[in-house]
Amino acid sequence: MRKKFADIFFKGVIITAAVSVSALLVLMLIHIIRESIPAFSTLGAEMFQADTKWQPVSGTPQFGLLPAITGTLYVSAIAVILALIFGVGGALFLNYYLPDNIAKIFLSFIELVAGIPSVIFGFIGLTVVVKGFAKIGKMAAGQCVLAAGIVLGVMLLPYVIATCSESVQNARKTYELSALALGLSKEAVLLKTILPSIRRGIIAAAMMAFGRGLGETMAVMMVIGNSPIFPKFFGRGQTIPALTALEMGSIEYGSMHLSVLYAANAVLLILLFVVLGCGHMLRRRLDKDET
Amino acid sequence: MRHRVGKYLTRLACFLLGVSAIGIALFLFVYVFWKGRGVISLSFLLDSPSGVPVGTDGGIFPALIGSIFLGGLSALMGGLLGIGAALYLAFYSDRKWLSVLVNTAILGLSGIPSILFGLVGYTLLIYKLGIGRSLLCASISVAAMIVPFVSIRAKKIFEEKRRGYMEESLGLGLSKEYTLRKLILPHCASELLGTVALGMAYGMGAVAPILYTGAVMQADIPRKLTDPFMSLPYHLYMLVNNGFSLEYAFGTAFVLMAFLLLVQLLCKGVTSLQERKESR
Repeated sequence: MRKKFADIFFKGVIITAAVSVSALLVLMLIHIIRESIPAFSTLGAEMFQADTKWQPVSGTPQFGLLPAITGTLYVSAIAVILALIFGVGGALFLNYYLPDNIAKIFLSFIELVAGIPSVIFGFIGLTVVVKGFAKIGKMAAGQCVLAAGIVLGVMLLPYVIATCSESVQNARKTYELSALALGLSKEAVLLKTILPSIRRGIIAAAMMAFGRGLGETMAVMMVIGNSPIFPKFFGRGQTIPALTALEMGSIEYGSMHLSVLYAANAVLLILLFVVLGCGHMLRRRLDKDET
Repeated sequence: MRHRVGKYLTRLACFLLGVSAIGIALFLFVYVFWKGRGVISLSFLLDSPSGVPVGTDGGIFPALIGSIFLGGLSALMGGLLGIGAALYLAFYSDRKWLSVLVNTAILGLSGIPSILFGLVGYTLLIYKLGIGRSLLCASISVAAMIVPFVSIRAKKIFEEKRRGYMEESLGLGLSKEYTLRKLILPHCASELLGTVALGMAYGMGAVAPILYTGAVMQADIPRKLTDPFMSLPYHLYMLVNNGFSLEYAFGTAFVLMAFLLLVQLLCKGVTSLQERKESR
């Protein structure tokens, strides 16, 4: 009898945990939607017009989100392109040219980079990348969209290398021996069979990395300059997470300003769920193909 | 001939990209440890911050302890919830709709940016519930963030171990819960602990969720859950962002990174020991 009670109790705890995790997401989503309703109902499309500026605290406040939205996409895009170039190249180098045991050491070393907190990336970005840009000239302070893209790109690099390495290893198992037996050179195998066969894996990795980049807060915020203007490659910019982190502390609860911030994050979440959802589905289909 | 050139170019490109990727990774660690080494001393680790503005002199002891409290509390909450949800998904997916819901919830939570945990925690806990900036609010926000982190990894661990025990144990007439408690959980304990520790390290490094929910620039070691607290990454952010002291910022970054690196290496060491034991 006592045993049975313990069993029921244990099962109860597990189900409670499972239900609470679901409730957590539902609660967060409902809260975000509820808080953003005032902004959507009173401002509506005005928030997304190109000529509405972001002047939340002036006499006639304007809440234009388009600069921050484009900034978020812009920074993430630069970061993903950089991470892909170095990540795919790095994955090929590690898994194709290095002996397995050495590659393994480097891979787990690069994995450690993923554990560095984003505030340290921001700090290094500020003291290295931004300082470097300022030294080279042209810019007064060196904080710009490109600097944010570089810092974010380095942050995404371990993720891209890890996922691409997996694809390269799988592709090698499938194709390498037969391709080499046909008399192709190592590089020809690489370019003609391995790269095309991991193409879909690269696209999935790129989408997941893009999604991660969209939500990055601290590192981007510290190097982008935080000006709510339309982003230029060498100019300052603003992203939605950075805007939120910067302004949420000084806003009254219940104000339109806060509601607009919630609306901005609702837009970001929709973007994120679309990008990550597609990436996830692609990944799942790939895993199914491979097994 | 053209073939030859292409071959060498490909090889060169791979080498250059690979070496620079490794170089970047190496640089990150060497840079912080090299620049921060001058500040590190026993008094930097064990004193409270002082000077005007605060943080330009003294040490970081309250921030170190505050971070550990935050990490411990959120790992406790997030770890229990995350492992519970993973257990449900791995062993109790009998109610289809609920397991789909839990799965979606975990994936959804893992996609939510860290700042949103801070924003929702801030308005919901501090304004709506009126708790005030505190260790408790910050821990809840961080715990919510590490739930998916723990869950996804724990589920993988359970799925790998499931086959071996469950069927034999059920065949012997033992109940599912008994098998979980007496066989599967103890068997996975060290790996689960490692996962939670990694989640803790992840949570301890985050600034966004604690930005306005509890971390402050100067505070004593928290004695109650409702006390505000100091945190290493937040301290680093404030030092850098306000331009107080670059030197002390490097020192703080050194300590933060060394601590998190230690946790990660320990977890990796335990897992590889475990693997070796099993393969023998």
